[in-house]
Amino acid sequence: MHELLLFASVPVHQHHGLLQQLAGLTAMQPRHALERRLIFKAFRKPGLITGRVGGSQDLQQASAGDLQRVNKMLNGGMFYTQVVGPVSNHDFAPTSKSVSTPDADTQMAGVDEPKPPAPAPSEAAHVYDYDQQTWKLEFRDIPEAATRSAVTTRVMASAALPRGDIEPSMNAWGYGFVTEYLVEGDVFIHNDIVIFLHRVLHYPTGEKEPREPRRNLPPLKKMAPLEKTGSYVLQASITVQDGSNQETMKTASQHLLGLREQLKSAVRLEPADRLSLDTRAK
Amino acid sequence: MAPLTSEEYKVLEQSRQRLVQLTRSLGSLVSSLEQGDPLPPWSSLQSQASIISNNLISVTEHLSDHRDLLSSIVAYPGPEYPGRTQENMLQQLMRTKLDPRVEDWVARGRIAGTESSPSALDFSRTIPNPSAAVNTSTKQLTEPELKELWEWAPVEANQEARQRNWGGHYTLEEREAGIQNVVTGLRRQLEDDDASEDEDEGDEDEGEDEMEVVGVHRKSSGGIEFDIAPHHARAVEPVVPLDKILRYMTTGHMP
Repeated sequence: MHELLLFASVPVHQHHGLLQQLAGLTAMQPRHALERRLIFKAFRKPGLITGRVGGSQDLQQASAGDLQRVNKMLNGGMFYTQVVGPVSNHDFAPTSKSVSTPDADTQMAGVDEPKPPAPAPSEAAHVYDYDQQTWKLEFRDIPEAATRSAVTTRVMASAALPRGDIEPSMNAWGYGFVTEYLVEGDVFIHNDIVIFLHRVLHYPTGEKEPREPRRNLPPLKKMAPLEKTGSYVLQASITVQDGSNQETMKTASQHLLGLREQLKSAVRLEPADRLSLDTRAK
Repeated sequence: MAPLTSEEYKVLEQSRQRLVQLTRSLGSLVSSLEQGDPLPPWSSLQSQASIISNNLISVTEHLSDHRDLLSSIVAYPGPEYPGRTQENMLQQLMRTKLDPRVEDWVARGRIAGTESSPSALDFSRTIPNPSAAVNTSTKQLTEPELKELWEWAPVEANQEARQRNWGGHYTLEEREAGIQNVVTGLRRQLEDDDASEDEDEGDEDEGEDEMEVVGVHRKSSGGIEFDIAPHHARAVEPVVPLDKILRYMTTGHMP
Protein backbone atom coordinates (compact mmCIF):
# COMPACT_ATOMS: atom_id res chain seq x y z
CA MET A 1 0.00 0.00 0.00
CA HIS A 2 1.09 3.55 -0.58
CA GLU A 3 0.39 6.61 1.44
CA LEU A 4 0.32 10.17 0.13
CA LEU A 5 0.77 12.92 2.67
CA LEU A 6 0.85 16.63 3.25
CA PHE A 7 1.75 18.30 6.51
CA ALA A 8 1.34 21.67 8.12
CA SER A 9 2.35 23.15 11.41
CA VAL A 10 -0.54 24.71 13.31
CA PRO A 11 0.20 27.21 16.09
CA VAL A 12 -1.82 26.56 19.21
CA HIS A 13 -3.81 29.78 18.93
CA GLN A 14 -5.09 28.70 15.54
CA HIS A 15 -6.05 25.22 16.68
CA HIS A 16 -9.59 25.93 17.80
CA GLY A 17 -10.48 27.93 14.71
CA LEU A 18 -9.01 25.30 12.43
CA LEU A 19 -10.99 22.55 14.16
CA GLN A 20 -14.15 24.44 13.38
CA GLN A 21 -13.11 25.14 9.83
CA LEU A 22 -12.35 21.48 9.28
CA ALA A 23 -15.66 20.50 10.83
CA GLY A 24 -17.34 22.83 8.36
CA LEU A 25 -15.35 21.57 5.41
CA THR A 26 -15.84 17.89 6.14
CA ALA A 27 -19.38 18.28 7.48
CA MET A 28 -18.56 16.05 10.43
CA GLN A 29 -17.78 16.42 14.07
CA PRO A 30 -14.14 15.83 14.96
CA ARG A 31 -13.41 12.33 16.18
CA HIS A 32 -11.11 12.64 19.12
CA ALA A 33 -8.24 10.20 19.10
CA LEU A 34 -5.66 9.23 21.71
CA GLU A 35 -2.97 6.80 20.67
CA ARG A 36 -0.08 5.24 22.49
CA ARG A 37 2.77 4.99 20.07
CA LEU A 38 5.68 2.70 20.81
CA ILE A 39 8.81 3.09 18.74
CA PHE A 40 10.74 -0.07 18.03
CA LYS A 41 14.06 -0.34 16.31
CA ALA A 42 15.45 -3.36 14.51
CA PHE A 43 18.56 -4.68 16.22
CA ARG A 44 19.22 -7.84 14.28
CA LYS A 45 20.14 -8.40 10.75
CA PRO A 46 17.09 -9.64 8.96
CA GLY A 47 17.01 -13.28 8.11
CA LEU A 48 18.37 -14.43 11.45
CA ILE A 49 14.94 -15.12 12.82
CA THR A 50 14.42 -18.83 13.04
CA GLY A 51 11.20 -19.01 14.89
CA ARG A 52 9.04 -17.47 17.52
CA VAL A 53 10.82 -17.19 20.80
CA GLY A 54 9.13 -16.73 24.14
CA GLY A 55 6.58 -14.09 24.93
CA SER A 56 2.90 -14.34 25.57
CA GLN A 57 1.87 -16.29 22.54
CA ASP A 58 -1.51 -14.84 21.94
CA LEU A 59 -0.77 -14.85 18.28
CA GLN A 60 -3.73 -16.99 17.43
CA GLN A 61 -5.78 -13.86 17.70
CA ALA A 62 -4.10 -12.35 14.73
CA SER A 63 -4.99 -14.03 11.52
CA ALA A 64 -2.47 -16.15 9.69
CA GLY A 65 -2.43 -13.68 6.83
CA ASP A 66 -1.52 -10.87 9.14
CA LEU A 67 1.29 -12.92 10.61
CA GLN A 68 2.75 -13.55 7.22
CA ARG A 69 2.56 -9.87 6.38
CA VAL A 70 4.18 -8.94 9.66
CA ASN A 71 7.06 -11.33 9.03
CA LYS A 72 7.53 -10.00 5.56
CA MET A 73 7.51 -6.42 6.73
CA LEU A 74 9.88 -6.98 9.57
CA ASN A 75 12.45 -8.90 7.61
CA GLY A 76 12.83 -6.48 4.75
CA GLY A 77 15.63 -4.43 6.25
CA MET A 78 16.59 -2.48 9.32
CA PHE A 79 13.81 -0.12 10.17
CA TYR A 80 12.21 1.81 12.91
CA THR A 81 8.63 0.78 13.22
CA GLN A 82 5.71 1.90 15.30
CA VAL A 83 3.24 0.02 17.38
CA VAL A 84 0.06 1.99 17.85
CA GLY A 85 -2.47 1.35 20.56
CA PRO A 86 -5.68 3.35 20.78
CA VAL A 87 -6.60 4.45 24.28
CA SER A 88 -9.40 6.56 25.67
CA ASN A 89 -9.67 9.34 28.19
CA HIS A 90 -10.82 6.89 30.83
CA ASP A 91 -7.65 4.84 30.54
CA PHE A 92 -5.65 7.57 32.19
CA ALA A 93 -5.21 7.65 35.92
CA PRO A 94 -7.70 10.02 37.55
CA THR A 95 -6.18 13.12 39.00
CA SER A 96 -6.73 13.92 42.63
CA LYS A 97 -7.95 17.32 41.62
CA SER A 98 -11.10 18.05 39.70
CA VAL A 99 -10.81 17.00 36.09
CA SER A 100 -12.11 20.21 34.64
CA THR A 101 -9.58 21.85 32.39
CA PRO A 102 -8.52 25.39 33.17
CA ASP A 103 -8.33 26.66 29.62
CA ALA A 104 -11.18 24.63 28.14
CA ASP A 105 -9.04 22.95 25.57
CA THR A 106 -10.96 20.91 23.04
CA GLN A 107 -9.07 17.79 23.95
CA MET A 108 -11.14 17.58 27.09
CA ALA A 109 -14.52 18.13 25.48
CA GLY A 110 -17.10 15.93 27.08
CA VAL A 111 -15.08 14.82 30.10
CA ASP A 112 -15.01 17.94 32.12
CA GLU A 113 -17.79 17.15 34.50
CA PRO A 114 -16.03 17.52 37.81
CA LYS A 115 -15.74 14.21 39.61
CA PRO A 116 -15.31 13.92 43.34
CA PRO A 117 -11.66 13.32 44.21
CA ALA A 118 -10.95 9.63 44.01
CA PRO A 119 -9.38 8.41 47.26
CA ALA A 120 -7.60 5.51 45.68
CA PRO A 121 -7.08 4.48 42.06
CA SER A 122 -8.62 1.10 42.76
CA GLU A 123 -11.95 2.74 43.41
CA ALA A 124 -12.06 4.40 40.04
CA ALA A 125 -14.74 3.06 37.77
CA HIS A 126 -12.28 2.13 35.06
CA VAL A 127 -8.71 0.93 35.41
CA TYR A 128 -6.37 0.75 32.48
CA ASP A 129 -5.65 -2.88 31.69
CA TYR A 130 -2.39 -3.18 29.85
CA ASP A 131 -3.01 -6.85 29.11
CA GLN A 132 -6.11 -5.99 27.14
CA GLN A 133 -4.54 -3.16 25.15
CA THR A 134 -4.95 -3.71 21.42
CA TRP A 135 -2.01 -2.97 19.19
CA LYS A 136 -1.43 -2.35 15.54
CA LEU A 137 1.92 -2.50 13.83
CA GLU A 138 2.42 0.39 11.49
CA PHE A 139 5.30 0.13 9.11
CA ARG A 140 6.35 3.16 7.10
CA ASP A 141 9.12 3.21 4.55
CA ILE A 142 11.24 6.28 3.91
CA PRO A 143 9.37 8.58 1.51
CA GLU A 144 10.10 8.00 -2.14
CA ALA A 145 12.93 10.10 -3.42
CA ALA A 146 13.08 12.20 -6.54
CA THR A 147 9.36 12.26 -7.10
CA ARG A 148 8.59 15.57 -8.66
CA SER A 149 5.09 15.58 -7.27
CA ALA A 150 4.22 18.06 -4.58
CA VAL A 151 3.17 15.44 -2.05
CA THR A 152 5.07 13.02 0.16
CA THR A 153 4.68 9.43 -1.00
CA ARG A 154 5.77 6.36 0.91
CA VAL A 155 5.16 2.65 1.12
CA MET A 156 3.14 1.67 4.15
CA ALA A 157 1.68 -1.41 5.70
CA SER A 158 -0.07 -2.22 8.90
CA ALA A 159 -1.14 -5.36 10.65
CA ALA A 160 -2.98 -6.29 13.80
CA LEU A 161 -0.88 -7.52 16.71
CA PRO A 162 -1.77 -9.60 19.75
CA ARG A 163 -3.24 -7.88 22.75
CA GLY A 164 -1.41 -7.04 25.88
CA ASP A 165 2.32 -7.06 26.43
CA ILE A 166 3.75 -6.68 22.96
CA GLU A 167 7.40 -6.29 23.80
CA PRO A 168 8.37 -10.01 23.96
CA SER A 169 6.83 -10.56 20.55
CA MET A 170 8.62 -7.59 19.09
CA ASN A 171 11.89 -8.71 20.66
CA ALA A 172 11.42 -12.10 19.12
CA TRP A 173 11.07 -10.45 15.73
CA GLY A 174 14.29 -8.61 16.27
CA TYR A 175 12.95 -5.30 17.43
CA GLY A 176 13.95 -3.42 20.55
CA PHE A 177 11.84 -0.91 22.38
CA VAL A 178 13.12 2.63 21.95
CA THR A 179 10.62 4.98 23.44
CA GLU A 180 6.96 5.73 23.58
CA TYR A 181 4.79 8.79 23.43
CA LEU A 182 1.17 9.69 23.19
CA VAL A 183 -0.54 11.30 20.23
CA GLU A 184 -3.69 13.22 20.86
CA GLY A 185 -5.74 14.88 18.21
CA ASP A 186 -8.85 14.89 16.07
CA VAL A 187 -9.61 12.94 12.94
CA PHE A 188 -11.74 14.15 10.07
CA ILE A 189 -12.61 12.31 6.91
CA HIS A 190 -13.00 14.38 3.77
CA ASN A 191 -13.92 12.16 0.80
CA ASP A 192 -10.86 9.93 0.48
CA ILE A 193 -8.63 12.12 2.63
CA VAL A 194 -7.96 11.43 6.29
CA ILE A 195 -7.20 14.65 8.11
CA PHE A 196 -5.48 14.24 11.45
CA LEU A 197 -4.83 17.32 13.54
CA HIS A 198 -2.60 16.08 16.32
CA ARG A 199 0.28 16.68 18.64
CA VAL A 200 2.76 14.60 20.56
CA LEU A 201 2.48 14.35 24.34
CA HIS A 202 5.29 13.20 26.58
CA TYR A 203 4.85 11.12 29.66
CA PRO A 204 5.74 13.06 32.77
CA THR A 205 9.45 13.14 33.31
CA GLY A 206 11.13 12.64 36.64
CA GLU A 207 11.00 8.90 36.84
CA LYS A 208 13.71 7.01 35.00
CA GLU A 209 13.02 6.40 31.32
CA PRO A 210 11.62 2.89 31.32
CA ARG A 211 13.10 0.19 29.16
CA GLU A 212 9.73 -1.26 28.24
CA PRO A 213 6.25 0.00 27.48
CA ARG A 214 4.36 1.40 30.43
CA ARG A 215 1.86 -0.79 32.17
CA ASN A 216 0.02 2.14 33.72
CA LEU A 217 -0.90 5.49 32.30
CA PRO A 218 -0.36 8.71 34.24
CA PRO A 219 -3.10 11.34 34.50
CA LEU A 220 -3.67 12.89 31.09
CA LYS A 221 -3.21 16.34 32.53
CA LYS A 222 0.33 15.52 33.56
CA MET A 223 1.29 14.82 29.98
CA ALA A 224 3.38 17.58 28.47
CA PRO A 225 3.40 18.45 24.78
CA LEU A 226 6.65 17.75 22.94
CA GLU A 227 6.37 21.17 21.37
CA LYS A 228 6.43 23.43 24.40
CA THR A 229 4.04 25.99 22.95
CA GLY A 230 1.52 23.22 22.35
CA SER A 231 1.35 23.58 18.59
CA TYR A 232 -0.31 20.95 16.44
CA VAL A 233 0.58 19.09 13.29
CA LEU A 234 -1.99 18.86 10.54
CA GLN A 235 -1.59 15.73 8.47
CA ALA A 236 -3.66 15.01 5.40
CA SER A 237 -3.25 11.56 3.94
CA ILE A 238 -4.68 9.29 1.30
CA THR A 239 -4.00 5.57 1.27
CA VAL A 240 -3.70 3.89 -2.11
CA GLN A 241 -4.01 0.12 -2.25
CA ASP A 242 -2.14 -0.35 -5.50
CA GLY A 243 0.80 2.02 -5.57
CA SER A 244 1.96 0.79 -8.97
CA ASN A 245 -1.15 2.14 -10.63
CA GLN A 246 -0.01 5.54 -11.85
CA GLU A 247 -3.55 6.64 -12.59
CA THR A 248 -4.75 6.10 -9.02
CA MET A 249 -1.67 7.72 -7.56
CA LYS A 250 -2.18 10.75 -9.76
CA THR A 251 -5.83 11.06 -8.78
CA ALA A 252 -4.94 10.76 -5.12
CA SER A 253 -2.27 13.45 -5.25
CA GLN A 254 -4.65 15.70 -7.15
CA HIS A 255 -7.22 15.27 -4.39
CA LEU A 256 -4.62 16.17 -1.80
CA LEU A 257 -3.56 19.23 -3.73
CA GLY A 258 -7.21 20.19 -4.04
CA LEU A 259 -7.54 20.09 -0.27
CA ARG A 260 -4.38 22.13 0.03
CA GLU A 261 -5.94 24.73 -2.26
CA GLN A 262 -9.13 24.79 -0.19
CA LEU A 263 -7.26 25.28 3.05
CA LYS A 264 -4.80 27.69 1.51
CA SER A 265 -5.98 30.73 3.38
CA ALA A 266 -5.97 28.92 6.74
CA VAL A 267 -2.89 26.69 6.72
CA ARG A 268 -0.13 25.87 4.29
CA LEU A 269 -0.05 22.15 3.64
CA GLU A 270 3.29 21.04 2.30
CA PRO A 271 5.20 17.85 1.68
CA ALA A 272 7.44 16.93 4.57
CA ASP A 273 11.20 16.92 4.57
CA ARG A 274 12.03 13.46 3.33
CA LEU A 275 14.82 12.81 5.79
CA SER A 276 12.68 13.73 8.76
CA LEU A 277 10.50 10.74 7.90
CA ASP A 278 13.49 8.44 7.42
CA THR A 279 12.63 5.18 9.13
CA ARG A 280 15.83 3.34 8.26
CA ALA A 281 17.84 2.26 11.28
CA LYS A 282 21.47 3.13 10.81
CA MET B 1 -19.71 106.80 -14.66
CA ALA B 2 -16.92 105.34 -12.63
CA PRO B 3 -15.06 102.42 -14.19
CA LEU B 4 -15.68 98.98 -12.69
CA THR B 5 -13.52 97.76 -9.86
CA SER B 6 -11.82 94.37 -10.10
CA GLU B 7 -14.40 92.96 -7.66
CA GLU B 8 -17.18 93.96 -9.94
CA TYR B 9 -15.38 92.48 -12.92
CA LYS B 10 -15.15 89.25 -11.02
CA VAL B 11 -18.90 89.22 -10.41
CA LEU B 12 -19.55 89.70 -14.08
CA GLU B 13 -17.09 86.98 -14.97
CA GLN B 14 -18.77 84.59 -12.51
CA SER B 15 -22.18 85.27 -14.00
CA ARG B 16 -20.79 84.51 -17.40
CA GLN B 17 -19.28 81.22 -16.24
CA ARG B 18 -22.45 80.08 -14.56
CA LEU B 19 -24.48 80.87 -17.62
CA VAL B 20 -22.00 78.96 -19.75
CA GLN B 21 -22.38 75.94 -17.47
CA LEU B 22 -26.13 76.19 -17.68
CA THR B 23 -26.14 76.37 -21.46
CA ARG B 24 -23.74 73.46 -21.65
CA SER B 25 -25.83 71.17 -19.51
CA LEU B 26 -28.96 72.23 -21.40
CA GLY B 27 -27.16 71.53 -24.65
CA SER B 28 -26.07 68.08 -23.52
CA LEU B 29 -29.62 67.19 -22.47
CA VAL B 30 -30.97 68.36 -25.80
CA SER B 31 -28.37 66.44 -27.76
CA SER B 32 -28.87 63.26 -25.75
CA LEU B 33 -32.60 63.52 -26.39
CA GLU B 34 -32.11 64.15 -30.07
CA GLN B 35 -29.38 61.64 -30.78
CA GLY B 36 -30.05 58.90 -28.27
CA ASP B 37 -31.80 56.02 -29.99
CA PRO B 38 -33.44 54.53 -28.03
CA LEU B 39 -33.85 57.34 -25.55
CA PRO B 40 -31.35 57.34 -22.68
CA PRO B 41 -32.55 55.57 -19.52
CA TRP B 42 -34.69 57.55 -17.16
CA SER B 43 -32.01 57.57 -14.51
CA SER B 44 -29.61 59.43 -16.78
CA LEU B 45 -32.33 61.91 -17.80
CA GLN B 46 -33.11 62.38 -14.15
CA SER B 47 -29.52 63.11 -13.28
CA GLN B 48 -29.16 65.53 -16.18
CA ALA B 49 -32.32 67.30 -15.06
CA SER B 50 -30.97 67.63 -11.56
CA ILE B 51 -27.71 69.03 -12.91
CA ILE B 52 -29.64 71.62 -14.86
CA SER B 53 -31.75 72.48 -11.88
CA ASN B 54 -28.62 72.94 -9.76
CA ASN B 55 -27.16 75.19 -12.46
CA LEU B 56 -30.35 77.23 -12.49
CA ILE B 57 -30.25 77.59 -8.74
CA SER B 58 -26.67 78.76 -8.80
CA VAL B 59 -27.40 81.27 -11.58
CA THR B 60 -30.43 82.70 -9.86
CA GLU B 61 -28.70 82.88 -6.50
CA HIS B 62 -25.80 84.65 -8.09
CA LEU B 63 -28.04 87.10 -9.92
CA SER B 64 -30.06 87.94 -6.84
CA ASP B 65 -26.96 88.26 -4.69
CA HIS B 66 -25.51 90.88 -6.99
CA ARG B 67 -28.79 92.42 -7.99
CA ASP B 68 -27.74 95.94 -7.02
CA LEU B 69 -24.59 95.88 -9.05
CA LEU B 70 -26.03 94.12 -12.08
CA SER B 71 -29.05 96.40 -12.32
CA SER B 72 -26.92 99.53 -12.13
CA ILE B 73 -24.39 98.54 -14.77
CA VAL B 74 -24.87 100.09 -18.18
CA ALA B 75 -23.28 98.51 -21.22
CA TYR B 76 -22.01 100.62 -24.11
CA PRO B 77 -19.63 99.93 -26.97
CA GLY B 78 -16.06 101.13 -26.60
CA PRO B 79 -14.66 103.49 -29.17
CA GLU B 80 -12.42 100.81 -30.66
CA TYR B 81 -15.34 98.43 -31.37
CA PRO B 82 -15.71 97.88 -35.17
CA GLY B 83 -19.29 99.14 -35.19
CA ARG B 84 -19.60 99.32 -38.94
CA THR B 85 -18.49 95.82 -39.84
CA GLN B 86 -20.04 94.03 -36.87
CA GLU B 87 -23.29 95.88 -36.64
CA ASN B 88 -25.47 92.81 -36.20
CA MET B 89 -23.40 91.52 -33.34
CA LEU B 90 -23.43 94.94 -31.75
CA GLN B 91 -27.20 95.09 -31.90
CA GLN B 92 -27.49 91.65 -30.37
CA LEU B 93 -25.24 92.67 -27.54
CA MET B 94 -26.90 96.00 -26.98
CA ARG B 95 -30.53 94.98 -27.08
CA THR B 96 -32.37 95.72 -23.87
CA LYS B 97 -35.64 94.08 -24.76
CA LEU B 98 -35.97 90.31 -24.77
CA ASP B 99 -36.45 88.33 -27.93
CA PRO B 100 -40.21 87.97 -28.60
CA ARG B 101 -39.97 84.18 -28.27
CA VAL B 102 -38.13 84.47 -24.99
CA GLU B 103 -40.66 86.97 -23.80
CA ASP B 104 -43.39 84.42 -24.43
CA TRP B 105 -41.51 81.80 -22.36
CA VAL B 106 -41.05 84.20 -19.52
CA ALA B 107 -44.71 85.13 -19.57
CA ARG B 108 -45.73 81.47 -19.57
CA GLY B 109 -43.38 80.78 -16.69
CA ARG B 110 -44.75 83.62 -14.64
CA ILE B 111 -48.33 82.51 -15.20
CA ALA B 112 -47.42 78.96 -14.21
CA GLY B 113 -45.68 80.29 -11.10
CA THR B 114 -48.61 82.36 -9.94
CA GLU B 115 -51.10 79.54 -10.63
CA SER B 116 -49.20 76.84 -8.78
CA SER B 117 -48.33 78.73 -5.67
CA PRO B 118 -50.74 80.92 -3.75
CA SER B 119 -47.79 82.64 -2.17
CA ALA B 120 -46.17 83.41 -5.49
CA LEU B 121 -47.04 87.06 -5.05
CA ASP B 122 -44.53 87.23 -2.27
CA PHE B 123 -41.81 86.26 -4.70
CA SER B 124 -42.90 88.52 -7.45
CA ARG B 125 -40.62 91.32 -6.44
CA THR B 126 -37.51 89.20 -6.23
CA ILE B 127 -36.17 86.76 -8.76
CA PRO B 128 -38.02 83.56 -7.91
CA ASN B 129 -35.86 80.79 -6.56
CA PRO B 130 -36.85 77.61 -8.39
CA SER B 131 -36.27 75.32 -5.44
CA ALA B 132 -38.33 77.53 -3.18
CA ALA B 133 -41.04 77.59 -5.78
CA VAL B 134 -41.11 73.81 -5.85
CA ASN B 135 -41.37 73.65 -2.08
CA THR B 136 -44.28 76.00 -1.95
CA SER B 137 -46.30 74.37 -4.71
CA THR B 138 -48.36 72.24 -2.35
CA LYS B 139 -51.60 72.20 -4.20
CA GLN B 140 -54.64 71.11 -2.25
CA LEU B 141 -56.21 67.95 -3.62
CA THR B 142 -59.82 68.22 -4.58
CA GLU B 143 -62.40 65.94 -3.02
CA PRO B 144 -62.59 63.42 -5.93
CA GLU B 145 -58.79 63.29 -6.14
CA LEU B 146 -58.53 62.50 -2.45
CA LYS B 147 -61.12 59.78 -2.85
CA GLU B 148 -59.22 58.30 -5.74
CA LEU B 149 -56.01 58.31 -3.74
CA TRP B 150 -57.62 56.48 -0.83
CA GLU B 151 -59.07 53.86 -3.12
CA TRP B 152 -55.73 53.29 -4.79
CA ALA B 153 -53.44 53.26 -1.79
CA PRO B 154 -54.65 50.19 0.19
CA VAL B 155 -54.58 47.94 -2.88
CA GLU B 156 -51.14 49.10 -3.87
CA ALA B 157 -49.76 48.77 -0.33
CA ASN B 158 -51.17 45.27 -0.09
CA GLN B 159 -49.56 44.24 -3.34
CA GLU B 160 -46.21 45.58 -2.21
CA ALA B 161 -46.58 43.73 1.07
CA ARG B 162 -47.30 40.43 -0.64
CA GLN B 163 -43.98 40.58 -2.47
CA ARG B 164 -42.11 40.16 0.78
CA ASN B 165 -41.62 37.37 3.20
CA TRP B 166 -42.47 38.91 6.53
CA GLY B 167 -40.84 38.19 9.82
CA GLY B 168 -38.20 39.93 11.83
CA HIS B 169 -37.46 43.57 12.06
CA TYR B 170 -35.24 44.01 9.06
CA THR B 171 -35.54 43.42 5.35
CA LEU B 172 -33.12 41.21 3.52
CA GLU B 173 -31.58 44.22 1.81
CA GLU B 174 -31.05 45.94 5.12
CA ARG B 175 -29.54 42.80 6.59
CA GLU B 176 -27.11 42.46 3.72
CA ALA B 177 -26.06 46.06 3.95
CA GLY B 178 -25.53 45.67 7.67
CA ILE B 179 -28.31 46.31 10.16
CA GLN B 180 -26.26 48.79 12.12
CA ASN B 181 -26.67 51.24 9.24
CA VAL B 182 -30.46 51.11 9.20
CA VAL B 183 -32.15 54.28 10.33
CA THR B 184 -35.20 53.05 12.19
CA GLY B 185 -36.04 56.29 13.91
CA LEU B 186 -36.64 54.32 17.08
CA ARG B 187 -34.96 54.95 20.39
CA ARG B 188 -35.04 51.35 21.56
CA GLN B 189 -32.70 48.80 20.08
CA LEU B 190 -34.37 46.27 17.80
CA GLU B 191 -32.95 42.83 18.31
CA ASP B 192 -32.08 40.79 15.28
CA ASP B 193 -33.82 37.58 16.21
CA ASP B 194 -33.02 35.78 12.99
CA ALA B 195 -29.43 35.34 14.01
CA SER B 196 -30.22 32.99 16.86
CA GLU B 197 -32.72 30.86 15.01
CA ASP B 198 -30.42 28.42 13.34
CA GLU B 199 -29.74 26.35 16.41
CA ASP B 200 -31.39 23.12 17.53
CA GLU B 201 -31.14 21.55 14.15
CA GLY B 202 -31.22 17.95 15.18
CA ASP B 203 -29.17 16.33 17.85
CA GLU B 204 -28.30 13.03 16.26
CA ASP B 205 -24.84 12.81 17.69
CA GLU B 206 -25.66 13.61 21.25
CA GLY B 207 -22.87 13.62 23.77
CA GLU B 208 -20.60 15.47 21.41
CA ASP B 209 -20.21 19.18 21.51
CA GLU B 210 -21.60 20.71 18.36
CA MET B 211 -18.97 22.55 16.43
CA GLU B 212 -20.21 25.76 14.99
CA VAL B 213 -19.07 26.61 11.51
CA VAL B 214 -17.02 29.75 11.62
CA GLY B 215 -14.36 31.18 9.45
CA VAL B 216 -15.84 29.71 6.30
CA HIS B 217 -17.92 31.41 3.68
CA ARG B 218 -19.21 30.55 0.25
CA LYS B 219 -17.35 31.98 -2.66
CA SER B 220 -19.40 33.82 -5.26
CA SER B 221 -18.01 31.51 -7.90
CA GLY B 222 -19.09 28.42 -5.96
CA GLY B 223 -17.13 26.36 -3.49
CA ILE B 224 -16.04 27.53 -0.10
CA GLU B 225 -13.26 29.67 1.15
CA PHE B 226 -11.66 29.94 4.55
CA ASP B 227 -11.03 33.13 6.35
CA ILE B 228 -7.45 33.88 7.04
CA ALA B 229 -6.70 33.04 10.61
CA PRO B 230 -7.60 36.09 12.64
CA HIS B 231 -4.87 37.86 14.44
CA HIS B 232 -4.70 36.34 17.85
CA ALA B 233 -3.93 38.17 21.03
CA ARG B 234 -1.77 35.35 22.32
CA ALA B 235 -0.14 34.32 19.08
CA VAL B 236 2.53 31.79 19.93
CA GLU B 237 4.54 30.49 17.04
CA PRO B 238 5.80 26.93 17.34
CA VAL B 239 9.38 26.68 18.54
CA VAL B 240 10.15 23.19 17.35
CA PRO B 241 10.07 23.01 13.56
CA LEU B 242 7.77 20.54 11.86
CA ASP B 243 10.50 18.26 10.58
CA LYS B 244 11.95 17.85 14.08
CA ILE B 245 8.54 16.79 15.34
CA LEU B 246 8.15 14.34 12.49
CA ARG B 247 11.64 12.96 13.13
CA TYR B 248 10.76 12.38 16.76
CA MET B 249 7.54 10.68 15.79
CA THR B 250 9.40 8.42 13.42
CA THR B 251 12.48 7.45 15.36
CA GLY B 252 12.11 8.79 18.89
CA HIS B 253 15.10 11.12 18.60
CA MET B 254 14.52 14.08 20.86
CA PRO B 255 14.73 17.37 18.98
